[in-house]
Amino acid sequence: MSDPNSRTRIEPLLASARALKDGSTERGKRARERLVASSGLSLEGVNFAISRCLEAEPSEQELEALIRSTPSAQVAHVLLSANVFVAAHRAIAIGLAASETVHVRASRREPEMAELLLEGATNSFRLVDELTPHSGDRLWAYGSDATLEQVAVTLPPGVAFHAHGSGFGVAVIDGALPDSDVNELLSRLAEDIALFDQRGCLSPRVVLVGTGLNQAQSIARALATELTRVEQRIPRGRLAAAELAEITTFHDTASFAGELLPAGLGYVSVAESATWSIPPIGRNIHVLPTSDPVKSLTSLRPMITSCAFAGAAALRNALRAALPGARLCSFGNMQAPAFDGPVDRRDL
Amino acid sequence: MTRNARSDALHQAVRAFASGQSTRSFSDLALEIAAFQRDFSAGFERLVTARRRALKAVEDIPGVPCDAFRLARVAVHPEAEDQLRFGTSGTTSGARGWHVMRTAETYRTLALNYGRKALLAGSGPRRVVALAPCLDAPPSSSLGYMMGMFMLDFEPFAEAEIRTSERWLLGDTGVDVAGLERAANLAREGGEALLVLATSFALVGLLDVLEGRELSVPGSSVVMQTGGFKGKSREIEPNELRQSVAQTFGIAPSHVVSEYGMTELTSQLYEATLPGSKLEAERQGTAGVYCEPPWLRVIPVDPIHLEPVAQGEIGIGRIIDLGNVDSAVAIQTQDRVRRVQGGIQLLGRAPGATPRGCSLAIEEFLARTT
Repeated sequence: MSDPNSRTRIEPLLASARALKDGSTERGKRARERLVASSGLSLEGVNFAISRCLEAEPSEQELEALIRSTPSAQVAHVLLSANVFVAAHRAIAIGLAASETVHVRASRREPEMAELLLEGATNSFRLVDELTPHSGDRLWAYGSDATLEQVAVTLPPGVAFHAHGSGFGVAVIDGALPDSDVNELLSRLAEDIALFDQRGCLSPRVVLVGTGLNQAQSIARALATELTRVEQRIPRGRLAAAELAEITTFHDTASFAGELLPAGLGYVSVAESATWSIPPIGRNIHVLPTSDPVKSLTSLRPMITSCAFAGAAALRNALRAALPGARLCSFGNMQAPAFDGPVDRRDL
Repeated sequence: MTRNARSDALHQAVRAFASGQSTRSFSDLALEIAAFQRDFSAGFERLVTARRRALKAVEDIPGVPCDAFRLARVAVHPEAEDQLRFGTSGTTSGARGWHVMRTAETYRTLALNYGRKALLAGSGPRRVVALAPCLDAPPSSSLGYMMGMFMLDFEPFAEAEIRTSERWLLGDTGVDVAGLERAANLAREGGEALLVLATSFALVGLLDVLEGRELSVPGSSVVMQTGGFKGKSREIEPNELRQSVAQTFGIAPSHVVSEYGMTELTSQLYEATLPGSKLEAERQGTAGVYCEPPWLRVIPVDPIHLEPVAQGEIGIGRIIDLGNVDSAVAIQTQDRVRRVQGGIQLLGRAPGATPRGCSLAIEEFLARTT
């Protein structure tokens, strides 16, 4: 049985998130304007992310699991990252599950979501400019590995540190699936890719296809078509100059090394090489034919946060065993994991 | 003409161009090599198609990104015809690429031609040592291979066997200071100049071991420094390193000559600072400005559209190297460069996109799945 106080502390946050989901209210409209400005996503991208990924109504079991899996703390400190604005909601909920005193430092690049949540859950937590944890406190930090390393070395003794760093998602398609099933999967995968313009740590960057090159090329073409379709509905947002430069490098590298297919403003690459490039953000993905998806993922294990899978149970079980830190999920749900704790299960 | 016949003719043309015995222009040769590579390299043909530019001017030749060497074979010929295979530096994921060559002759001609001009002052005897690991066999390091060639060519009476501990003064335990001092003594006694070929991180290692102690080398000695630090030593700002090296060796700062090379290239760039050298006489260079040989051209381009930037503006370097006949005549680097009077300034590697939050930092975005 979880601490009822934890549940009481989280409830106003959930109510605040529920209110934000309603885009017809003045608050909902204002929230979307602010999030478009801070996230760089298109308005359609923000709307899609809120509707698909903001977990405002978790099940009883999920909440129970979140509270049960969260250790209590004197003071819970939460350091938010910039990329995936909805992640603030889950991160703050974990803080509230841990303590009645929660200090949150938002990213300077994306300060809006935490403020928006606080507006509807006044006094639930404090937004601060700097986190100053003391012995006995806990700090949950989300961000790049480099940021987390910097944070770790500045912590005073006795502060428990929960670090959630860089990573990416993968998708695995069993080669034996019928084409009609594959097309449906790719349609959902295109949405997983489009969410947050692929900036999230759950965003898929590679699809492993348990077949030969020909079928992988056919899947790559179908995925490029789906991504183009999704882009008509959910346009890509603004990218930074350095992000665009990385896409240019990827474009030329992948063109040289294999086949590169335009997919709206992004690209789908496909090649049989054992060494491949993890595509940059901005709706780019690599399709890798492989006779052994589990083996192909082994060296990437520490970075994999999420794995969408479709195929035989034996392969599912093998992936579960090989990727204990990743969430195994269905296509279309890569960016909406159960609200039962942090988004990934890696032990960093 | 067959592939190899075209390749041989192009190699010959490039060597003639390098020795000043050709009436053909740099642009004509570059475009002819690019057309040859488009005909025989499927990867380059795809890149040209993807870039949607007809190969009509040097600026139209798309640069093969350095990462492509790690993902695919960059060559017009099959592996069986490789005469040289140089490994690129590995990434943390272990992915390593190879720059292969069908003939060693062009590499040798170009490297020696320009190395002599940049590093040799006067015609007196000299002794050559390297602060680098001993050359392996077959050679997998392009830098080591070049250093070995310099040893054999620059010393009038060099022994054919150069793989000796007297020559290569960097081992698992760091720089062999005693070996370096021994070489300096022998050079002084023999009335020779000492030429020390060194990586930057080896020089930093030497400075750290010496802790301010100075070496006694002949005053006409020269240190060639090359490469970055690659996390192997603390980093020192280039000018500070030059000053410290000059002081430690007791030579003028102008005798510390920086070289810029890459495994993916056949040719090198040097500072034209060494008094008495042919390159200094021709270009009167300044420290920090790298001079291209006539058969190589650096084009600073903007990193998003890859179009040439205006004169004097910073771009990333696309390098057209006529020596890369059988691999990639144009290489797209991520090194920030600026064209200035007399050559090219190197301004460090372009930073990757700032990792935002928890998305993967693609500082080196290569994965290896075996």
